[in-house]
Amino acid sequence: MTGSALIIAAVFVAGFVGIAIYDIATSRRRKEKYRFGTVATAYLMLIPALVLAFLFVLLPILYSLGYAFTDYNLLKPNNIKYVGFDQFKKVFEEIGEKGTLYHALINTLVFVVGVVPLQIGLALLLALFVNKPLKGSKIFKVCFFAPVVISLSVTSFLWLQILSPSESGLLNSLLGIFGAEPHDWLRDPATAMPCIIVLSAWQGCGYQMLIFLSGLTNIRQELYEAASLDGAGAWRKFTLVTWPGLRSTFIYIIITVFIGACRILTQPMLMTGYQNHTVTLSYYMYQQGYSYRHVGYSSAVALLMTIVIGTVTLIQRRAFREKN
Amino acid sequence: MKKQLYEDLPNFKRNKTPVKKTVGQIIYIIVGTILSLIFLFPIIYMLATSTKSESAYAASAGSLAMFLPDFANLGEAAKNYGNVFSNYGIWRYAVNSFTYAAIVIVLNILVNGLAGYVMAKLRFPGKRFLSFMIIFLIVVPVETSIIPLYSIVKIMLGLKNTMSVLGVILPATISIFNVFLFMQFFGNIPQEYEEAARIDGANTLGVFFKVILPLSKPIVATVAVFCFIGVWNDYLWPSMILPYASEGQWPLYPIQSALTTIQSIQGITTGEIMASLIVTSIPIFVIYVLAQKYIVQGFGTAGLKM
Repeated sequence: MTGSALIIAAVFVAGFVGIAIYDIATSRRRKEKYRFGTVATAYLMLIPALVLAFLFVLLPILYSLGYAFTDYNLLKPNNIKYVGFDQFKKVFEEIGEKGTLYHALINTLVFVVGVVPLQIGLALLLALFVNKPLKGSKIFKVCFFAPVVISLSVTSFLWLQILSPSESGLLNSLLGIFGAEPHDWLRDPATAMPCIIVLSAWQGCGYQMLIFLSGLTNIRQELYEAASLDGAGAWRKFTLVTWPGLRSTFIYIIITVFIGACRILTQPMLMTGYQNHTVTLSYYMYQQGYSYRHVGYSSAVALLMTIVIGTVTLIQRRAFREKN
Repeated sequence: MKKQLYEDLPNFKRNKTPVKKTVGQIIYIIVGTILSLIFLFPIIYMLATSTKSESAYAASAGSLAMFLPDFANLGEAAKNYGNVFSNYGIWRYAVNSFTYAAIVIVLNILVNGLAGYVMAKLRFPGKRFLSFMIIFLIVVPVETSIIPLYSIVKIMLGLKNTMSVLGVILPATISIFNVFLFMQFFGNIPQEYEEAARIDGANTLGVFFKVILPLSKPIVATVAVFCFIGVWNDYLWPSMILPYASEGQWPLYPIQSALTTIQSIQGITTGEIMASLIVTSIPIFVIYVLAQKYIVQGFGTAGLKM
């Protein structure tokens, strides 16, 4: 392991030195002059960032690519064998046999399809509501934003109590007023993911609301006045002025919420544990790589996920850009 | 002439009579209050429950009292919070978190600030290689590199026992995106400031600390605030790499990691759980109130990532 890290380091140092020598060689032609003192200070000041970035940013990225083609097991760090595409074969077998990975895939898909429209829709509605120049809007803005302040783990534990299966749990006791039987919301496969979707949207949408709001304040007021002059109603103002004005904000929000949703991990991990009906892709990778120590296999899943998410993000970007 | 024009405009900004406006305002307040209650009910429930004993909590089930503090027995509230602090020792974990956050903030600003300064202001061979790497590392989306990171910290660097604290701190001190932010911000500082300081005999490091950093308070504050929120709210990574001394003892845990262990203590009451959740959330709440300006700026810079 240390050996491979040293090789990667050597490659990067060589690349850097190569370009540096090229820079020095062409410096006269580019009329650029390097002063020895400045260059030495520059390198010295860069060293901490370079070392840390190499160890904790670049190396993990390269390793997560490389491990996918090995049988790396955390318990045997000195015995890593190259196994080609075996891990990927195992991934597709696991999906084909409807194993845990299959459930993780479906659950993540359900979560993304549920939470992205819900969270963004809520955020947009709240932003439009708070954007009204009426009394109280500032207080409402703070109220809608409040859940964002709470961390994901606190949110998970709080909702664990709210959704508690006992009769005295908040949701069960409130539904009990109408005569409903206590329900185990998080253990029932039919209700667990919807609950996690709702609480995630609740926790997150205040953040996107603020971003939508800053997008709304950038829309020039004259456009609305001009639309009023033309006799446009509220809906036509929204479709003709607000929506086009929010387009770039919307692209940003949809991509960030999508990527964030694909990575969901904390809520199922803290609320239900490793269960087929709530396991997600990130949770599966964590469990395989960390708890079961199969780093190679886990990295193969991560690599496939990176490819899928990257492709979908690119498609989203293209789709929205073409309309412009 | 101008007034004439205004008079002629149909329905322009004058279609709302005062009465209509008042009705609109009232409806707005009502709808807003209902929406706010829907958003706040879990938080109100959390606050209310943290003041209750287990029996008072069970008694309030299914009634409005679930959302009201137990005013009759305020001693229970003191007991819940007291237990969270003394029996479950949450203050110790809070001190850990504050320490980690303080170190990370200082190092993060130093390391990334220095790199950003060099990239923005100094000329040196090989700069294009680093610029390319910065853009590359920001653009490339990576799904969870947490497990390779774990193997680097644990196996390659061998950070075990107390040393694993370094594993919590060091990866959090480097952020390519912050280097990029600093680079952008420093690049806009006019050269004259630096030259003036150099004439006064300051060296490059002196210029950075005495001229560049003081002129960059907004970006420094934004980075500091986001560092704090990041370190305070992180629970998975510290839980993975920090050891436990013996069963039920996690002397190095930050508060969010400790929270996951406190939840599973035998015999903890719902009120105490809620109290621990509130204590954990208070510092972040205070940061949001105090540093609103910088957090909103942070949203602005987040857009740069695109």
